[in-house]
Amino acid sequence: MNLKSRVRDFIRGLLSANGDTGDLADHDSILISGRLQSIDAVEIVVFVEESFGIDFAKVGFDRERIDSVDAICTLIEATSQYH
Amino acid sequence: MGIVVPDIETGSKKNGSGAASGFRIIPRIEAHAGIVTFVQRPLGKALLLAAFALLLRFFVPDLGVERSVMLPIALITFFPEYRRFILAVVPIVLVFHVAADSLALGASLSVLTTAMILYAAVMKWPDSGFARRPVATLLFGFTALTVVACVAPLHSLYYRVLWTLVGTWASYLWFVCYALTDRSSMPKRDLTLELATLRPLWNSTFTPFPKGAAYLRRIEAQTPQELAVTQLKGLKLLVWAMMLAIFEQWWFRLFHGYLRIPSTVEALTMSMHGTPAPLLVRWESQALFFFELTLNFAVIGHQIIALCRMAGFNALRNSCRPLSSTTISEFFNRFYFYFKELLVDLFFYPTFLRYFKRHRRLRTFFATFVAIVFGSSFFHLARDWQFIQRDGLWKSLIGYQVLFFQNVILATAVGLSQLRKRGPKASSIFRRRVLQPAGVLFFYCVLGVFGDESRLYTLGVHLKYLASLFFIRL
Repeated sequence: MNLKSRVRDFIRGLLSANGDTGDLADHDSILISGRLQSIDAVEIVVFVEESFGIDFAKVGFDRERIDSVDAICTLIEATSQYH
Repeated sequence: MGIVVPDIETGSKKNGSGAASGFRIIPRIEAHAGIVTFVQRPLGKALLLAAFALLLRFFVPDLGVERSVMLPIALITFFPEYRRFILAVVPIVLVFHVAADSLALGASLSVLTTAMILYAAVMKWPDSGFARRPVATLLFGFTALTVVACVAPLHSLYYRVLWTLVGTWASYLWFVCYALTDRSSMPKRDLTLELATLRPLWNSTFTPFPKGAAYLRRIEAQTPQELAVTQLKGLKLLVWAMMLAIFEQWWFRLFHGYLRIPSTVEALTMSMHGTPAPLLVRWESQALFFFELTLNFAVIGHQIIALCRMAGFNALRNSCRPLSSTTISEFFNRFYFYFKELLVDLFFYPTFLRYFKRHRRLRTFFATFVAIVFGSSFFHLARDWQFIQRDGLWKSLIGYQVLFFQNVILATAVGLSQLRKRGPKASSIFRRRVLQPAGVLFFYCVLGVFGDESRLYTLGVHLKYLASLFFIRL
C-alpha cells in the first residue's frame, strides 16, 4: 500500500468514527475546517509518530501540517526516510 | 439510508435522518447564488452593511462605539485588498481611543512594542530557547512582573506603573502567546495580521477569538464570492445572537423576576446562614445557572464571531449545539470552543509532544490535565489580576481554591472521557439524543456548584452545599 492510500485510509477511519461519511479529497481540510476535533488531531500525531518515526517535538508542530491527506504526506516525505 | 447534510458550522458531513435534520431557523442565505452575487455588488454591500449595523445597535447602544467598529468593516467590504492593513491599524487607533490616562496609554504602547520585538526575536532566532518555549517564557515573565508589583510600596509611583503594566499585559497575554507560537506555522513574517490580532477589531474577550494570525490566514476570504458568503454567515450569526439575547432577557424575567428563583450564590448564602432554600429550588437554581451560563457564552461568542466574519474571516462559531453533546469532552469542545482551543494549542500540544511518549493513554490524560488544571487556572488568575492587587498573591491563590478544585474535577472527567474507546454510535435514538446528553448536562450542572467566581466561600462550604443537594449532611 502506498503512502497516500495508507494516510487516506487512516483519515477516513477517523472521520467515519465521528459519523462523517462525506467525500474526502486529498487536499480537503480536516482539522481547521472543523471536520475533526483536537482529540482526532492527537490520533493523527500518534499515527504519524508511530508509523513513520517522526518526532513532532523536534520538527515542530503545527496543525496545518496535518490538516489534509496531502499535507500529512508532504510532512512525512520531507521529514522521514519513507519510500 | 440517510441523506448527507453538510454542517456549515462544524464542517462535518454527517448522515442526517431526513427532512428534520435539514430544518434551519435562519435560512441558508449564503447558499443562494442570487443573494451571493447581489452582495458582491456595491448596492448589495451597502445593504448588507446597513442590515448588520442596524442589528448591531441591539448589542452596542453607543453610536460612537458602533461607528468605530462599522467604519473599518465598511472599508474592508469595499476595499478587501487593504483588509490586513486596515486591521493592523485598528489596534493602534484603539489604544489611543480607549486609554483612560497617559499611564494606561504608555503601558499599552509599551506592551504592543514589546510584543512586536518578541515576535521579531522568535522569527530571527527560531532555534533559541525562548523561541522553542515562547509560552512558558512569557508566562514566567508575566508571573515575575506580578510578583514584583505585589512587593511594590503601596500607592507609590512604582506601584501604579507596575499594576498598570500587569493589567495591560493580562489583557494582551494570550494574544501575544498566539503570535509567538506562529514560529512553526506557514507562511511566516506577516506583521500586519500579527498586529491585527493583538487587539482585534471584533473586540475579543481575554480569550483570543478566533485564535491567532496563523489561523486567520487560513480562514481569510480570498475572492469576492468567499467574502460575500462569509459576510452573509456573519449577518446570520448576529441575527441568531439577537434571538438568543432576547430569549435570555425573557428567561431572566420569568425565572428570577416572576418566579424569584435565587442565583446559585444566593442559594449558597442562604444555606450558609442556616436558612436554606427548599431542595427543589436549590436544584432549579443549579440548573438555571448552568443553562444561563451556556446561553450567555453563546450570545457573546456569536457577536464576536459575527463581527469577525464581517471582516472577512470565515471563523467557526464559539458555541455549537453544546446541549446535544453525548460525551463530557464533546461538551467541553462545543461549549466554549476558542477557550478550549487556547488550552489545546498553548498547553495540551506542547505537553503531549514532549512527555510520556511511550505511554499513549497516560500521555493524553497528562496533557489534558496540564491544559485544564494549569492552563485554565493560570488564565483565570491572570484575567482576575485585580484580586491579586487587592488581596496579595498568597491570599488570592487561596481564594482560587474552589475554581481550582473545579478544574481538577473537569480535567479528570474530560481526560477519562477522551480515553474511552470510541465505538460505533449508540443505535437507539433515545439513548443518543436523550440519555447521553442528559448525563453530560447533569455532570456539568453539578460541576457548576464550584463555578462561583465571587470567591466568597471556601471549598468546604461548596462541598457541604453539594452534599446537601444529595440529602447528605456534612
